[in-house]
Amino acid sequence: MSTASADLIWQITRAQNSYLVKRSTGGAPQFSRDPLNLMNINSRKYAGFVNDKAVGVLPNQEGGVTVISKKVGSANKPASSRHTVTYGRNKTARKTSKAIANQVAKNGYRADLRKAAVARASLIRRSQRAVKADPEQKLRGNAAKKAAPKE
Amino acid sequence: MASRPTVTVIGADGKATGATEVLPKIFGAPIRPDIVKHVHTGMAKNKRQPYSVSEKAGHQTSAESWGTGRAVARIPRVSGGGTHRAGQAAFGNMCRSGRMFAPTKIWRKWHVKINLGQKRFATASALAASAVAPLVMARGHQVSTVPEVPLVVDSAAVAGEAVAKTAAALGLLRAVGAGADLDKVKGSKKLRAGKGKLRGRRHRQRRGPLVVYSTETDGKDLLKGFRNIPGVETCPVDALNLLQLAPGGHLGRFVIWTSAAIKQLDSVYDAKKGYSIPNNVVSQSDLTRLINSSEIQSVLRNPKGEAQTKRGQVQKKNPLKNKQVQLRLNPYAKAYIAEKLGEVKAEGKPTPVPASFKEMLNEA
Repeated sequence: MSTASADLIWQITRAQNSYLVKRSTGGAPQFSRDPLNLMNINSRKYAGFVNDKAVGVLPNQEGGVTVISKKVGSANKPASSRHTVTYGRNKTARKTSKAIANQVAKNGYRADLRKAAVARASLIRRSQRAVKADPEQKLRGNAAKKAAPKE
Repeated sequence: MASRPTVTVIGADGKATGATEVLPKIFGAPIRPDIVKHVHTGMAKNKRQPYSVSEKAGHQTSAESWGTGRAVARIPRVSGGGTHRAGQAAFGNMCRSGRMFAPTKIWRKWHVKINLGQKRFATASALAASAVAPLVMARGHQVSTVPEVPLVVDSAAVAGEAVAKTAAALGLLRAVGAGADLDKVKGSKKLRAGKGKLRGRRHRQRRGPLVVYSTETDGKDLLKGFRNIPGVETCPVDALNLLQLAPGGHLGRFVIWTSAAIKQLDSVYDAKKGYSIPNNVVSQSDLTRLINSSEIQSVLRNPKGEAQTKRGQVQKKNPLKNKQVQLRLNPYAKAYIAEKLGEVKAEGKPTPVPASFKEMLNEA
């Protein structure tokens, strides 16, 4: 009775909600700050706070990724409505992707989000890699002549 | 519906007491942001005080037009001499020291009459929205630590002197999971942009939870406890106000009910004579369920075509590489390939060309 359907909630909040970031330039894209939004895009499909089932992939503090998802049937119990799984940094990328893909798409959860979830996890893991130091610059021209040992 | 949905009552320690309350019928009212917005716009205007510029402003001079023939505009000009003011244009809204265009009057229509039915509808709508967690989140309230929406706190936790002190009230709010919302309000206090700073609206800040209580059961001591917590507002259940339930016309205020208040809510609405709670025009707003319902599916035609439809002339295929296409064009190719006719060696030596043929060729 009191739980409004996701379609209704979306129609009420699509134009204005606290997660929405509107930009006036660059084609006026509409982004979302919702942690349960895999693409950070304000759309019906990716809006995590609207859908009964939604997935969010966040970077874990100690490396790896944390996958949060909503528990079905506890939409009005915010404190206990999140399911959290962490895939640590020592798990291989392949295994992480596989696990996330299964978690998102199996058991009739959200198969449509599989690709986005895996892609997001992959990007997060890539961002966690140690940055390679730039190779030392070779001197050229006059600088090289100066640095060269005098004959 | 066999049994009406219930809501858990949370105790002073933030844990469920085990008691439940039946959710009042008003929470099933249709959620209509358009009506709420419209009513809010009107209601927000009803607390305004009249203001205007002075009646005399811009007219305290004996200016007269010079008429035509003086090669200056026919605007009234200040008479006399001996000062720079003499000969300057006056009165007009385009003039320096002239009156403004359409001077504001204290008899402007400051207040807006809103139909009672609409006001009640909007309040009902705002109440219903406050019981939907996604809408509360979309309004910006930090409710991820709240055990349930609508949040109902045991009246025993606020009874008498229990939360007459601010520290106790704050402790209760934090215990029931409203701490994050309070912190958000606390950090949000900003200096207002513009002239409002000089006019008693110096700061702007977010709104926190609204505590709805029952005057009869909960008493009024809790008011003192809550009144100095930034962002927290209180409201008796029999005087619910749209300006508090949907601040800014935005649905989904975070409302904390006392169990006595939520118990009383049904009777508050029953007491309104000739009023019935508005019904939803569409009882099932879940589109997926509608589409997949047997009522809809039973009257739909079966989908046309096979599960996999043939692509027509979409792409040209090379018959030399694609065997199926080759067979379609040249049925003999099958036998030709099967018998490996392409690989058969010619038997014997080829007969040489007769000499007469060469002669014939070279005749001309």
